[in-house]
Amino acid sequence: MVSRKSERLINLTIALLATKRFVTKSEIFETIEGYEGSSESKERMFERDKDDLRSLGIEIEVGSFDPLFNDEAGYRIKQERYQLDLGDITTLEISLLSLAAQAWQGASLDDAAQRALVKLNSLGIAVDDANLPVSIPFLSDGGLDLPKITHAIAEHQILEFIYRNYDLSEENRRVVPIGLSTRSGYWYLTGVDQDIEEVRTFRFDRVIGSFTVKKGPKNFETPENFDSQNLFERVENIDAVIDVRRGKGTSLRALASSTKSIGEWDQLQIPILDVKSLSALILWHGDDVYVHSPMELRESIVSSLKEIVKAHG
Amino acid sequence: MAKNESKNAVSPLERTSRLLDLVPYINTHQGISLVELAEVFEVSTDQMISDLTTLWMCGLPGYTPLELMDLDFESGYVTIRNAPTLARPRSITHEEGVALVLGLDVLRSGISSERIDLIEAIVSLSQRIARLVNLPLALSASSNISQEVTTSVKDAIAHRSGLQISYHSLYKDEISSRVILPLEILDSQGYLYLHAYCFTALDFRHFRIDRIQSAHSVEVEKPSTALPVNPEKIGFSVKVVRPTRDVAERFEESNLEAGTVFKGSSFSQHWIARSILASGGAVELLSPEEIRSELAKRAELILNRYEG
Repeated sequence: MVSRKSERLINLTIALLATKRFVTKSEIFETIEGYEGSSESKERMFERDKDDLRSLGIEIEVGSFDPLFNDEAGYRIKQERYQLDLGDITTLEISLLSLAAQAWQGASLDDAAQRALVKLNSLGIAVDDANLPVSIPFLSDGGLDLPKITHAIAEHQILEFIYRNYDLSEENRRVVPIGLSTRSGYWYLTGVDQDIEEVRTFRFDRVIGSFTVKKGPKNFETPENFDSQNLFERVENIDAVIDVRRGKGTSLRALASSTKSIGEWDQLQIPILDVKSLSALILWHGDDVYVHSPMELRESIVSSLKEIVKAHG
Repeated sequence: MAKNESKNAVSPLERTSRLLDLVPYINTHQGISLVELAEVFEVSTDQMISDLTTLWMCGLPGYTPLELMDLDFESGYVTIRNAPTLARPRSITHEEGVALVLGLDVLRSGISSERIDLIEAIVSLSQRIARLVNLPLALSASSNISQEVTTSVKDAIAHRSGLQISYHSLYKDEISSRVILPLEILDSQGYLYLHAYCFTALDFRHFRIDRIQSAHSVEVEKPSTALPVNPEKIGFSVKVVRPTRDVAERFEESNLEAGTVFKGSSFSQHWIARSILASGGAVELLSPEEIRSELAKRAELILNRYEG
């Protein structure tokens, strides 16, 4: 039973691919093997088969071969839409794609990556991995349905979700997503918040519950200056200058743009992305860190310390 | 969803998809062995034989030997003739495109900026794939795991060999050297962990891969059968002064309000003390008393440096 269904779907695909003109339903029932039973059951079979092929990503065109007459509708699959066409592909490019597909090892997009790789390998282009990085860092999708998000980006849909703010209040957000990124193990969504009409970035693990996809606004345009590669560049051009005890503060050192030894201590310059999170990281390191500047950061540390002393003294 | 089903489950659609992809693959890999083909498509050899038998019955309407695909696999090696309509691989799906584009971006994040040739090739590929699957170029990925570590870890798992790692313990803020026997990579809450036998702890441990600073292959003996030394958990209780998301995430507590008291436990007194410090006065540690008073002294000492 199962194999007959697959057989029929393959035969249907082949027949619709091989034809230049539209093939009518009655021609399909006459010539393609597997359509049996009453005309109603044939119809039902065919409708399901069409849906099934479409769900596999195969585009079936509907049309009639003589538009002047009200003919019976016909069907075909365009070769150029069915086939993989990435233009001329070099052996270097195939090798890079093979490496890219390995990034998902163990994650849920791994299956999709492997399927894509089989298709690419079917092009019959040899892999040339000389001169290439030997491997790729791992990527994790954090259990997210990434294709749902990327569809919403492509279609300018609205994503609705409840977001946990810094003060723990929960807020309903309606966002047209324009970017998806991952840094340091977290996934971020960037989009135009429909209520305040400004670009905002959200961390996925701070979304409560799930996303609802809604129809997007008309004539949506991605803000011109948006660049997904620059999302994590700092906004202000200020570095924090801090001293860190030698051999300590590995996490802070990883953020530093420069390090200079001053005896028992090293002086680090750290680009500031977010004062709150940098303060927390500095406090975490206790007496192994001393903040010189900027004043804002220094004051934030001092007032936090005062509160700690007051609460625990 | 299909991905939750086991690979050998016979869903007719999954099977159809595989059959369509088999034709172009065999076409460019004429003479491939049945066993290897089954491995590429991640199915059993029996399933592969059944797939090929089905394909053998397919072709253009008419279904005479002239129209049918000419498949030969009786010898254990597979060849295909007369399959021009399906000979080229299918286009990639949106989901497959997403996986590739993000994979390419993470690859680029690890390549030195001097390799302009590679970076240009990656950018061009990303653009072509994005166009193909209607995917805006709005995706970016980077990994904070070094390539050198990735390579060593993968090699060690593949060859069942030991690794000497230098590992950053966040709680103690120390880098320690350990000898481990890596077993597998696990994905938990967005982080990748290496599940390994640790010859220092004499027990199995999970290591955050992004905290492994360096890794080199070493010879190891079999894991010891000696009983592991299990440290004891320290209980603590905390009162919320100012509820913030930071506190909720750090202590994995929801429903925080000013005045809420919650309890927790940790293997590390360092973690407890540092977490309270990093919360910057938003919480008060009620117990244990030793950590509380030590904490107050520490905070006062640091404060004196700023005010002295």
